[in-house]
Amino acid sequence: MKSFKDYNPIAIFLYYALAVIPAMFCSNPVIMSISMVCAVLFRLVKDGPAACKKMWFFLIFPFAGMIVNPIFIHKGVTTLFFINNSPITLEAVMYGLTMGIMIFATIAWFTSFSSIMTTDKLLYIFGSVSPKIALILSMALRYIPLYGQQIKKIRQAQQVVGLYKEDNAIDKIRGGMRIFSVMVSWALENGIITADSMTARGYGVGRRSRFAIFSWKKQDFMLLAASMLLGGITILGIAAGHMGYEWYPQIAAPKAGLLTICTYIAYALLALIPSYLQLKEDSRWRSLQSEI
Amino acid sequence: MEILTVRDLNFKYTLGKEDAIHGVSFGVEEGDFVAISGPTGCGKSTLLRMLKRELTPLGEKSGTVLYRGTPLEDINDRTAACSIGFVMQRPEQQIVTDKVWHELAFGLENMGVPQEVIRRRVSEMASYFGIEDWFETNVADLSGGQKQLLNLAAIMVMQPGILILDEPTSQLDPIAASDFLATVAKLNTDMGLTVIIVEHRLQEVVPAASKLMIMDKGGLLLYGEPKKVCAELPSRPDLLAAMPSTVRLFSSVSGKMPELNGSAAECPLTVGEGRRWLESFGNSVQPEFKDAPELTTPYALEIKDIWFRYGRNLHDVLRGTDLNVHEGEILCVLGGNGSGKSTCLGAVSGLLKPYSGSIRIFGKDIKEYKNQSLYRNCLTMLPQDVQTLFLKNTVREELADAGASAALLPYDMESLLDKHPYDLSGGEQQMVALAKVLATEPKLLLLDEPTKGIDAHSSERIIDVLKSLRDGGMTIVIVTHDVEFASKAADRCAMFFRGEVTSTGTPREFFSENNFYTTSVNRITRGYYAGCVTLEDAEQAIALQNR
Repeated sequence: MKSFKDYNPIAIFLYYALAVIPAMFCSNPVIMSISMVCAVLFRLVKDGPAACKKMWFFLIFPFAGMIVNPIFIHKGVTTLFFINNSPITLEAVMYGLTMGIMIFATIAWFTSFSSIMTTDKLLYIFGSVSPKIALILSMALRYIPLYGQQIKKIRQAQQVVGLYKEDNAIDKIRGGMRIFSVMVSWALENGIITADSMTARGYGVGRRSRFAIFSWKKQDFMLLAASMLLGGITILGIAAGHMGYEWYPQIAAPKAGLLTICTYIAYALLALIPSYLQLKEDSRWRSLQSEI
Repeated sequence: MEILTVRDLNFKYTLGKEDAIHGVSFGVEEGDFVAISGPTGCGKSTLLRMLKRELTPLGEKSGTVLYRGTPLEDINDRTAACSIGFVMQRPEQQIVTDKVWHELAFGLENMGVPQEVIRRRVSEMASYFGIEDWFETNVADLSGGQKQLLNLAAIMVMQPGILILDEPTSQLDPIAASDFLATVAKLNTDMGLTVIIVEHRLQEVVPAASKLMIMDKGGLLLYGEPKKVCAELPSRPDLLAAMPSTVRLFSSVSGKMPELNGSAAECPLTVGEGRRWLESFGNSVQPEFKDAPELTTPYALEIKDIWFRYGRNLHDVLRGTDLNVHEGEILCVLGGNGSGKSTCLGAVSGLLKPYSGSIRIFGKDIKEYKNQSLYRNCLTMLPQDVQTLFLKNTVREELADAGASAALLPYDMESLLDKHPYDLSGGEQQMVALAKVLATEPKLLLLDEPTKGIDAHSSERIIDVLKSLRDGGMTIVIVTHDVEFASKAADRCAMFFRGEVTSTGTPREFFSENNFYTTSVNRITRGYYAGCVTLEDAEQAIALQNR
């Protein structure tokens, strides 16, 4: 069964880039709202309401934007009321709200992104640049924790032998230096074994290829194509300047031309993809499950 | 056809004074299983490295090594890397990448094999080795045995014609070691894979081997069928120490009683053969063994009902452990992996704090030893990985660093003083570390797996050293997997199981009541002679039958 998180990591990564980044650069409340609703919807569909409790806290941003922005910005023609002789304007409130929604939507996208993108998927994405980089990253991920463990072992061994004291700051520094020097000779000596093991298996014989447990299937290409198409229309709309709102002195929505409407529809479809895939899989799974 | 031919091979290290290998010639047939044995420093590891071109050390070489008739130097890089597989000693350091699946694919990636081919070969190998369940795991989460199995599988995906193993099980516990060796033997029988293996302990290798090679001082001493080689083996303790108990028993009995030789000319290799061989002596007279009674000295260490877990939400590792150790005795703590015996040692050494229960050291609660006073003239521990103690360039500086003197140990360290600690053999490293640890003049010495990675002969020397320390009044607690070692070293043994001590007793009581967790001599003599645990016991029993 293939739900959104099981797609090829590169396709997922590109999807997120297209869904989140353009929305951050147009101050368009409609786009922002679509982005927010879809991000929250996906979280709810993916993890259920119970897992999303922490997310609701971030709703503080839209409210904070609504309050903080008009306190400092007094532009705008529609005055609502005065505080200390300063006008609080509708334009400033709306702008603050929109920015708050943008921040909240981005956070919501990122919470689902970080739960989907485990380290091995990120490694796969960065490693795609070259097989060498993939190997270096993989070795770093192996050796950094290994060295950490060894340092702990060395500290304990030295302590029990009475050679490592923590009685005062000077002892601590001395002890730290001992550990460091044991660690360096250990790492150098044992590094030789790793190097032997690598040459024994033909490292450096020729051009490396790359194996990954993630593969490209038809569905992955479809996701990639859909996000490129819909994201492309969105970017086009934003770049052509048909999406920008004027906020001050008076709120002015862009003219509802063909491109503007197309952009709204394209972005809405784009933002709904993960929820759609998730729901489709869930219902398919439910019907299959009833037959087991 | 000979898959590997070695002709008149000589080798001298660049900085070496004499030849590490001289005049070695032999052939290995396709499908052979060759076991190589010899005392430490006899050149067996050097020989193995001469057979794998990428690992050949720097030095002067003469003679030829042919792989399927072609000299090793003339084979192309790709074939050389793929067709000769090499597994080394330390499982941890051979692994290159962070994930199991990536490690399996590493060699094929180096060869530039396309992704689909890698996928097929990796999945095939993973299922053959039973790795499927931990295919996507982090390498760091594997046990030592799993790591070594992964190293083997990562070489088998490259489809080697010959597999060379340099003491692959020396860092593993006995169960993992025999699993590993069984896998190697299965590869040999299932696939006809040619295997050359160097092992310190040949108990489980010799029965599977089709040829046995004994090396000594850089030369070839004996090479041929295991039974013949074992029968011709000169009775030198350094050569015999590594042999299966049956071979050692056979050698010493036929040496002492040449008139017996006629009854069984064939040297028994397995426990089963050993039992049949023993039958020929009869068991009309049962031996009687007398053990020293349990000491009545005060307790050096009292552990009362301690409970420990590594994290609040993890399970208990120690569950109400009780253990008492008398002053001036050697206690060996045995038990499987994860039974909590090392954790218990950590608690006694003050590194881990049990959440309940008490530990008294020389009558004083461990919590009352303030400011590291526990580690001054009181208690010390030899860690499992002794390399965690070394930080100088020579042994001399190393000893000076701790204020230790080599004279503390009944062991001649003179020849080692100017060497780098990492250049020493496992047994020598252990001795230097022990001297360093003893610098604080402890009364209670804790050792964690002192025989790990050490050949059988060195392990007997460790026993001598420990016994002389005990006779000097020291109390010694050893945590070990090594049953043969415990049977000879211990005054008392304790069995750890699921965080508790389930039984204690003298080695004789302890091992003759166990069925599986016991010495091989005990398994051979079980049912014939009661209470035989060590080789000497069995010799004594056989000698009785002849009067």
